[in-house]
Amino acid sequence: MFRSVCRISSRMAPSACRNIVGRPIMASSILAQRFYSANLSKDQVSQRVIDVIKAFDKNSPNIVNKQISSDTQFHKDLGLDSLDTVELLVAIEEEFDIEIPDKVADDLRSVGETVDYIASNPDAN
Amino acid sequence: MSGVMAPTRGQILSLYKQFIKNANQFNNYNFREYFLSRTRSTFRKNIKQEDPKVLMNLFREAKSELGVLKRQSVISQMYTFDRLVVEPLQGRKH
Repeated sequence: MFRSVCRISSRMAPSACRNIVGRPIMASSILAQRFYSANLSKDQVSQRVIDVIKAFDKNSPNIVNKQISSDTQFHKDLGLDSLDTVELLVAIEEEFDIEIPDKVADDLRSVGETVDYIASNPDAN
Repeated sequence: MSGVMAPTRGQILSLYKQFIKNANQFNNYNFREYFLSRTRSTFRKNIKQEDPKVLMNLFREAKSELGVLKRQSVISQMYTFDRLVVEPLQGRKH
């Protein structure tokens, strides 16, 4: 909104516009950076998720010896029941400093889905 | 009123999550591990429970205990404790 006002007024009096808003063209790019800067790459996220799973101390030998990939399912492959899964998700939440809403948490059944969710969450860091 | 409303699976899991989260916040190793293991064992003990009446009572009881846990974890954060020898020096696991 600001910019369009500025554009209109700058047609008439460019110097006046600059005085009011200060560098009008820069303003929007700075804002964009501030909102979207914390994104993590998918590889980073999945490496950290896997580390959390490996450190998850309930450890059935299932987890320790298993090769964990994005297809790994919490229940089927790792043998975690619903309570264990909740605990694992809490550990993951703490690692990335986010809160996974219950509705989403219900649908996270595999490592890949979890990684996708975290990568799409702008608060994750 | 006809019958008792049993808590849903979602409600129970969400309660469990809050227990774990709050227990994790204790600074003191002994308290933290105690509440974690107590939470795990109580929920697990009743994992096969199906009677709605019993479930409702357990649920209500757990909710009031969660209140206690929340208050105590906040209080525990107001005091500092020395690390115990059993704790890893570099950061905690959770």
